[in-house]
Amino acid sequence: MATVLHAVLGYFLLLFTVRILRRRAGAQMTMFEFVLIFLIGGIIIISTVGNDRSVTNCTCAVIVVGFMHRALAYAKSKSPRVGAIVDGSPVMVIRKGEWQQEIIYRTGLRREDIEAAARGIGVTRIEDIDYAVVERNGHISVIKK
Amino acid sequence: MSNLPFESEVADSVSKAENKVAVGEDLEFQRKWWRFEHIAWSILLAIVIVDLLGGFGRGWLARAQKSTPDQAMTLHYERIARASTPSVMTFQFTDKAIHNGRITLYVSDSVVKPLGALRIAPQPALSSIGDGGITYVFDAGKGPSTVQIQLQPSFPGAHPFTVHVEGEPPVHGSVFVMP
Repeated sequence: MATVLHAVLGYFLLLFTVRILRRRAGAQMTMFEFVLIFLIGGIIIISTVGNDRSVTNCTCAVIVVGFMHRALAYAKSKSPRVGAIVDGSPVMVIRKGEWQQEIIYRTGLRREDIEAAARGIGVTRIEDIDYAVVERNGHISVIKK
Repeated sequence: MSNLPFESEVADSVSKAENKVAVGEDLEFQRKWWRFEHIAWSILLAIVIVDLLGGFGRGWLARAQKSTPDQAMTLHYERIARASTPSVMTFQFTDKAIHNGRITLYVSDSVVKPLGALRIAPQPALSSIGDGGITYVFDAGKGPSTVQIQLQPSFPGAHPFTVHVEGEPPVHGSVFVMP
């Protein structure tokens, strides 16, 4: 019983913490993110299983987390608002060639991040970008003029 | 009827920028989220500060001390403890607590069950149950002496307790166990 509650609480706590961490440019996970995920995950697992380290308890905890994930995926598919809360929403950092300073500041993006994304599609001049969008996974999509 | 799972184009299902690029941007929601993030980080910072001060146990705010009026017994304990985490209750006695070469200490049942008393040191010469608690009897010589009860609370919540040393009024306290 306690394990189920701890697993549910741990799932949401982890989701909440990861969600409010500022989105970082670039979809690839780096060592920087690995440290975070392993450390937070390791801490959460201690309180989830408690002193009961039996296979039964750990199996139950894993199943509960699986159910939580599935339930949340279902809720996301039914409600765009839930999807936006869990995954965020895309934001435009360049709109019709104009830099959106507020968005850039809020997302913590650097000019170099956008330039790198532009180079990825063969755009060499920043002036040639019509739209640049930070996607939900942190990837920057660039549309040239 | 089409076999395609989605009959409308993606571009028709998400909001467009300047009626041109289908992005699905919801800036109003995003601004609300950033405000929420700001508040959430402030709350998390407050949690860390409270934790550093011992507001969730194991720190300056958590430490408590109670004494009998004539200082025959002084009790040091943690008013805020954590579930499944060891905590120590320390009793310090002066000569005034010694009667016939013995110190008789009563602790209420709440110290044993919800607060999870694991062991007592030193071992009492005698222990007996009754009156809603346990009475320990220690052989004692002159000079200050100390008894420790190691706790490991299992049940979150507030747990009032009573301790009583022979010849002195009872001392009441409470331990709040964090989950």
